[in-house]
Amino acid sequence: MIKIKDVHKSYGDLKVLDGIDLEVNNGEVVCLVGASGSGKSTLLLCVNALEGIDKGEVLVDEISVHDKNTNQNELRKKLGIVFQQFNTFPHLTALNNVSLALKLVLKMSKKESNDLAEEHLIKVGLKEKLNHYPSELSGGQQQRLAIARALAMSPSYLLLDEITSALDPELVGEVLDTLRMLADEGMTMIVVTHEIPFAREVANRVAFFHEGKIHEIGSPKDLISNPKKIRTKEFLSKIL
Amino acid sequence: MNYSFTLNDLLFMSQGALITFVLTISSGIIGTFIGFFIGWARSSSSKIIFYLLGIYIDIIRSVPLILQFVLFNSFMAIAGYPMDPFLSGILTLSVYISGYVAEVILAGINSVPKVTRNSSRGLGMTYLQDFIFIVIPIGFKNIFPSWTGLMLGLMKDTSLIAVMGATPPELLRSSQIIINRVHEPILILLGAGVFYYVMCYLITYLAEKYEEKNHIKSMEIR
Repeated sequence: MIKIKDVHKSYGDLKVLDGIDLEVNNGEVVCLVGASGSGKSTLLLCVNALEGIDKGEVLVDEISVHDKNTNQNELRKKLGIVFQQFNTFPHLTALNNVSLALKLVLKMSKKESNDLAEEHLIKVGLKEKLNHYPSELSGGQQQRLAIARALAMSPSYLLLDEITSALDPELVGEVLDTLRMLADEGMTMIVVTHEIPFAREVANRVAFFHEGKIHEIGSPKDLISNPKKIRTKEFLSKIL
Repeated sequence: MNYSFTLNDLLFMSQGALITFVLTISSGIIGTFIGFFIGWARSSSSKIIFYLLGIYIDIIRSVPLILQFVLFNSFMAIAGYPMDPFLSGILTLSVYISGYVAEVILAGINSVPKVTRNSSRGLGMTYLQDFIFIVIPIGFKNIFPSWTGLMLGLMKDTSLIAVMGATPPELLRSSQIIINRVHEPILILLGAGVFYYVMCYLITYLAEKYEEKNHIKSMEIR
């Protein structure tokens, strides 16, 4: 379970997160929506300690993420993260993209890591691309590669940061299909997205971010179909 | 005394070319080593380290190399540790090129997108694992052409070591020695130019082969 308690963060004078409270239960999919710069992506970086926080606390399985005594490298094994772009390691084949961390972080043998990498790449439909470099893959394939790489670490949680935003429209579907598959398997996910129909279909809850705060949160049915607050209405009417 | 250009002179020039090569390789290796650590240190989050090492780089890049040779050599003599000009030349060249290498290394490290590094750290890799397995390979490919350029420049700069009368003489110095006897400056300097060209071409050729083999040009970061 991920517990985010009153998290504040600023970059200089710019307040990015202004008191975020959010609990994500195991098996739950929570989508974060909102305008650019509303703090959604920063929150994900704070959850797995790629960014520090100024105030508050993040607990992952009751371990305080930003505590000095927490081994963050150890903690990150539990938290897979995929970004909008520049995820993949351009100097490594698809197979090695996945197997590198298995060897370095999970200390697997070459054979073990390659077998596991292959298995996960097949699962996301990249069977034919094992020995291709990222530059030889389409944007959608690269994102699926990044997802496979995160999943191969057997994380308990997946943090997805607008992973379809940089893709051509015709490639968005294949990546969302992969996410649907994961949601069906019960993977716990925090998904920053602009794909409102996807959020409506897959999410258990949707949170609308506005100026560093969770402005409104609820089931997709409530928040997307019947938003109560005026800002949420405005945002959704613009994007839908 | 023989006033014409002989086979021995050609051998003498070849020997000079070999010395030029040795100077380039040794100061290139030492300088790249020093520059690597300076560039790496400057990529760290400490602003103090960044500016302090920035001063080092600025000084090295602002003072003409020929002055650095003379100053370093004289300084060591005054300090009571007179050095062999050849050795002090290698050290000066190494320090000199390290300033340029440091800047190229820093650019290489910064050329790796923050998100790519977040991806590797996000997988649980340590800072050092990320640096060794992600940053170095990607950054290296990005800066390899600039680094090759620095090494070509270094090869030509080795000729300035002649101001200290270093022995054995490198290519330009050995050419001058022959000119003093044969009095055919244009012809001999032209010959020296050919030697430099061949050596530079060799480096460029090897670098290009290496790039082709490793798909450096075709590799884009997306």
